[in-house]
Amino acid sequence: MVGKVGSGHWRHSVLGAALLLGACSGGGGSGGSPGSPPPPPPPPPPPADGSILETQREAARFLNQATFGGQADDIAALTGQSASNWFVEQVNMAPTLSLPYVQNYIATVPTATSPDGLTYEGSHAATFAFWVNAIESEDQLRQRMAFALSQVLVISSRDGGTLAGIPTTVAYYQDILARNAFGNYRDVLEDVTYSPAMAEYLTYMTNIKGDPDTGRMPDENYARELMQLFTIGLVELNRDGTVRTDASGEPMSTYDNADVQGLAKVFTGLSVNQECFFCGFYEATPEELISPISIAPQWHSELEKSFLGTTIAANTDAATSIDTAIDTLFNHPNLPPFLSRQLIQRFVTSDPDPAYVDRVASTFESGSFVLPNNQRVGTGERGDLAATLAAVLFDEAARNPSQDDQFGKVREPVVRFVHWARAFDATGITPQYAWSIWDAGRADALAQGPYKSPSVFNFYRPGYVAPGTESGAAGMTVPELQIVNAGTVTSYANFMAFYIFNYADQYFEGPEAAAFYTAYTDEIAMANDPAALVDHLDILLTNGALAQGTRDNIIAAVTAVPEVHPYDPEFDTMRARAQLAVYMVMTSPDYLVLR
Amino acid sequence: MTLTRRALLKSAAALGAGSAFTMGAGGVLPGFGTAHAANTSGYKAMVCLFFLGGLDHNDVLLPYDQSSYDSYADIRSSLLGSFSTEASRARGNLLPLAPDNSGDFGARQFALAPELSGLHGMFQSGRAAIVSNVGPLIQPVTREDVEDESAALPAGLFSHNDQQSQWSAGAPEGARNGWGGRMADEILASGSNQTADFTAISTLGNDVFLTGDVTQPYLVGLDGARSLDILDFYGYNPFGQDDNPTLAALRTHFENRMNTPDSLIGRDMAAAISGGLAKNEAFNSALETSQPLQTQFPPGFLGAQLRAIARTISTRNSLLMNRQVFYAAVGGFDTHSAQAQDLPRLLREIDQAVVAFYGAMEELGIANDVTLFTASEFGRTLAINGDGTDHGWGGVQFVVGGGVRGGRIYGDVPEFVLGHDQDVGSGRLLPSMSVEQFAAPIGRWFGLTEDELVRALPALPNFEAGSTPSFFV
Repeated sequence: MVGKVGSGHWRHSVLGAALLLGACSGGGGSGGSPGSPPPPPPPPPPPADGSILETQREAARFLNQATFGGQADDIAALTGQSASNWFVEQVNMAPTLSLPYVQNYIATVPTATSPDGLTYEGSHAATFAFWVNAIESEDQLRQRMAFALSQVLVISSRDGGTLAGIPTTVAYYQDILARNAFGNYRDVLEDVTYSPAMAEYLTYMTNIKGDPDTGRMPDENYARELMQLFTIGLVELNRDGTVRTDASGEPMSTYDNADVQGLAKVFTGLSVNQECFFCGFYEATPEELISPISIAPQWHSELEKSFLGTTIAANTDAATSIDTAIDTLFNHPNLPPFLSRQLIQRFVTSDPDPAYVDRVASTFESGSFVLPNNQRVGTGERGDLAATLAAVLFDEAARNPSQDDQFGKVREPVVRFVHWARAFDATGITPQYAWSIWDAGRADALAQGPYKSPSVFNFYRPGYVAPGTESGAAGMTVPELQIVNAGTVTSYANFMAFYIFNYADQYFEGPEAAAFYTAYTDEIAMANDPAALVDHLDILLTNGALAQGTRDNIIAAVTAVPEVHPYDPEFDTMRARAQLAVYMVMTSPDYLVLR
Repeated sequence: MTLTRRALLKSAAALGAGSAFTMGAGGVLPGFGTAHAANTSGYKAMVCLFFLGGLDHNDVLLPYDQSSYDSYADIRSSLLGSFSTEASRARGNLLPLAPDNSGDFGARQFALAPELSGLHGMFQSGRAAIVSNVGPLIQPVTREDVEDESAALPAGLFSHNDQQSQWSAGAPEGARNGWGGRMADEILASGSNQTADFTAISTLGNDVFLTGDVTQPYLVGLDGARSLDILDFYGYNPFGQDDNPTLAALRTHFENRMNTPDSLIGRDMAAAISGGLAKNEAFNSALETSQPLQTQFPPGFLGAQLRAIARTISTRNSLLMNRQVFYAAVGGFDTHSAQAQDLPRLLREIDQAVVAFYGAMEELGIANDVTLFTASEFGRTLAINGDGTDHGWGGVQFVVGGGVRGGRIYGDVPEFVLGHDQDVGSGRLLPSMSVEQFAAPIGRWFGLTEDELVRALPALPNFEAGSTPSFFV
């Protein structure tokens, strides 16, 4: 945590957040030359701040990395300002949560059609909350961080699973990630472990101790994925994320199946309600759906639990056992590089240098980071996520990358869609009227949807090396390329066309027509000058990365949209030009790859 | 002459100049007259149907003789009580098998789960075979080897993603190519197919199974290839111009003829977009000229995938294909919980979809030339965890097609007890047949020579050559 939530105005919040502020204002202070006569006291020098975003391009680029994309006003406001100050302000903003939206949605939308009080639309309310918050909330950094964490600590509310029908439980989980986005990863692990959503998704809800007589053993699902995916991974790592090898050059496994079985005993005796243990969700009260799951001691394994060199004595209770298990994983040397590398991939670059990973991992360990404006972020405790995220975003590799042709990442499809809605100030942010984003993870939608992964392995894997590609030939890990193929590139273009060209406004009526409408006021005003229009979009969307050839071709396409349509008297040439320009920028490789 | 293509590919790879041989959109291999592959005449397709999550083989191939069944029912009693009447695993509700090689199993008898009535019928009529206790291995191992850690074992055992990759590629996650793609590489090197573009086809995504050095999977849509709406919109040319410059610029845009992006990832995205457009358009024009299929497929994702594969096979002549590898997959098999509720539904879906697919191949008149086989990252524990089962190792698979020597159970079926010689804990099966041994007869049937097989399945020589049975007539 980075101090208490302040007023939202950064000067106040900085002063109020003692934990944020280190003692290093002024940047050094050891430069006085001895022996000189004392000069008159100079005016206090402005704090040296290496994070001033001098140009619109720099400001836009920073926002493209740290948020779901900037609006024109955001870019203008941040130009010439300190990225460090912006970071501190963001960290201190109150979290925008999903649960209030979901509860309000359920309470206010007619539910007569469904005995459990939910319409089919209502079952998607947690997804709606994600979209609304990602598009409209001010606490963009937190929302992006929560989304990044959701791709490590994966649950899915895809249709067909139990979670698809329990939006409050999903929202409660989303809020765990949002609340803890700048907190400590130890707390994330604990809150996730006790969350009803994860207990259901990885099947330790109602998991019971083994029975040696029949050979029945505890469910191993959570024990395995908690280690493999949420904390330490399969092989031992150096702090820079590279794989440690043994004397014969082989990677060393972090655990074997005996560790899984030992750890599996820890996650026994957990359910929504200990009075009706095996009811699971079926008899849960609304309050239980949004509360930590509880412990039924009679179903918790009383055997000794041994894993990763830790032994929990026989007859240790569940809460103590879980604490010990999480501590063991949290303190494992793999965790800092394991998580840090993935966070770098989510925000900055797909195949980071080991030295970059090491700098971020060491910040995860120290829990403290000094921003370029010399303010200190973090509690100084291992696992501090605000400090870790600062280390990701303010690293020299992120801010001043060399013109390395291996730098950068594919923008995530979810981020692209939200970026469009933000950049063009879409109105009618009513996901309930925009069915294609209910599960944007479908292959015929964005091929990625928030909290909609096909499995606990997310839509793509951090170690994915794309076969048959230039990046693959260079040995680069590029996770997002795992969902790029002949089908999804087409689906993405068509999905975006529906929104960019405002098809809903043309073909639907009522609230469906108004959903995600973009007026394109600024863009239409420029549309009689296609070059100006494209240059405007180049800042707004691609932070100045549009290549000359791409730019010229878009200008040619836009210019060729005629003034008069032969048989549509309502054809609005300027609007059509604005839409076409947005569409072509957002489907260009220059946009799709963030550098 | 025998040096030509293979030698070129090898030296190209050695020089790191593989891109010269990467067949992009519309790329056409020179039509070398000599085929290296043993037999690449006619048409053949293999279809991998992958069950993601780890199919519980103990709930597919069950014991049927009373004594084995009683042992099984004892170990699984609390789970068995949870099945519905229709899906009951009571002995009387199972579908008993009469394999041609029943003598291999002495007094032991087996049955299929009641949902698999179609596959049961195909087994009895000789069009489906069962392969038991197959899974990833590096070399033959015994339980003692595993326990005293004296033998090399596949990395990432019991982990979903790693064992999916082991099955598909013979290496844990991060593997660059799989045996379906490598077999396709051999076919392409022989000059059999004229283009790489549609040699490997997935209904799902960028599957490593279908990826080779040259071969890249093409993702086919469930209802034909997807087309770009914007090109359709401007293609109607509403402005009455003969040569619409907006449409031309849009084609330039999606064909990425504007410029070459600076970054590797940028060029990869550009290639995905332009290559995707070219392949999608070629595929759809082939589909337009092919005869619609009459065979009805069951509703659901798997039925839609196998239907898409069947339709693709119907375009084989237009696409100039005489060897194709397909990949479909369906999830939901990770039955740690609620197995009695979830698995029967999945098995029924599989059964209906596979039967429909075989029917479609009969309709096309090529049932003998198409082989479908199943795969899953692992089997599951014989022991239960309450209402489900946990990750195992060896499992049971089906091989289906008119060319299959069906009605037989290949491999061994370990006893349905805990603690036997192939049990590495809670009934996790140590495989007695490796994935390579499972794949080799399929590759031979596909037309690969022994040399080509070893290139596609590098670990195959670690296993006794003679120990691989042929599943084919």
